[in-house]
Amino acid sequence: MDFLTNVKLAIYRTIAETTHAPTVADVAQQLGARVDDVQNAFAELHAKHLLVPEPGDPTRIRMAPPFSGVSTPFRVTVNAKTYHANCVWDALGIPAALHADGMVRARDAHSKESMTLVIRHGSPKPTPCVVHFAVPAAHWWDDVIYT
Amino acid sequence: MLLFRSEETVAEWCAAHELPVRPMITLDQLWVLATEWYSNRLTEESRRPGPAEMQEIFGRIGLTDPFWDPNTV
Repeated sequence: MDFLTNVKLAIYRTIAETTHAPTVADVAQQLGARVDDVQNAFAELHAKHLLVPEPGDPTRIRMAPPFSGVSTPFRVTVNAKTYHANCVWDALGIPAALHADGMVRARDAHSKESMTLVIRHGSPKPTPCVVHFAVPAAHWWDDVIYT
Repeated sequence: MLLFRSEETVAEWCAAHELPVRPMITLDQLWVLATEWYSNRLTEESRRPGPAEMQEIFGRIGLTDPFWDPNTV
């Protein structure tokens, strides 16, 4: 397995296990690698849209989609662990990535009413809701934190 | 993308932010996108779908409007 894949899996498996995103230093220690090499791998994963660094601090992770490196309004519980997702798409992406049932706690973006989405036996439980996309697909990564 | 209880709250949110109402999708459509994007994310082979794959996935769930074209500038 190449180095970039090792870094990618270290990031994703650490989040899946701990619910927290590792830093460059964390991954370097875990892999016994040089910090500079891991930093370059973070940048390469960003270019592949598999990671978004924290603005102003490329050693930290803001997003490793579907997971968020910071607290968000989308809390997702899977296998008794609670993760944060970047958006409602990613909120469903967490049980999809972990191949497990899950529960998403979120709010209506306008009314702030609490909403719960449940994934059970591989599909979402019918729930009154809609998902609105404000940004066309071609521009999702222009400012992915906004998207 | 944001979650709303109904199309009415989407319209209210768009009006409050002075934005046009853009496409909406259902929970079942979103689940297809979530599984297509992320079901292999913890594997060696994981990667984001490319533009052609995205269009194929969108088309499969009825999202064929130019809004969903990842190549539109």
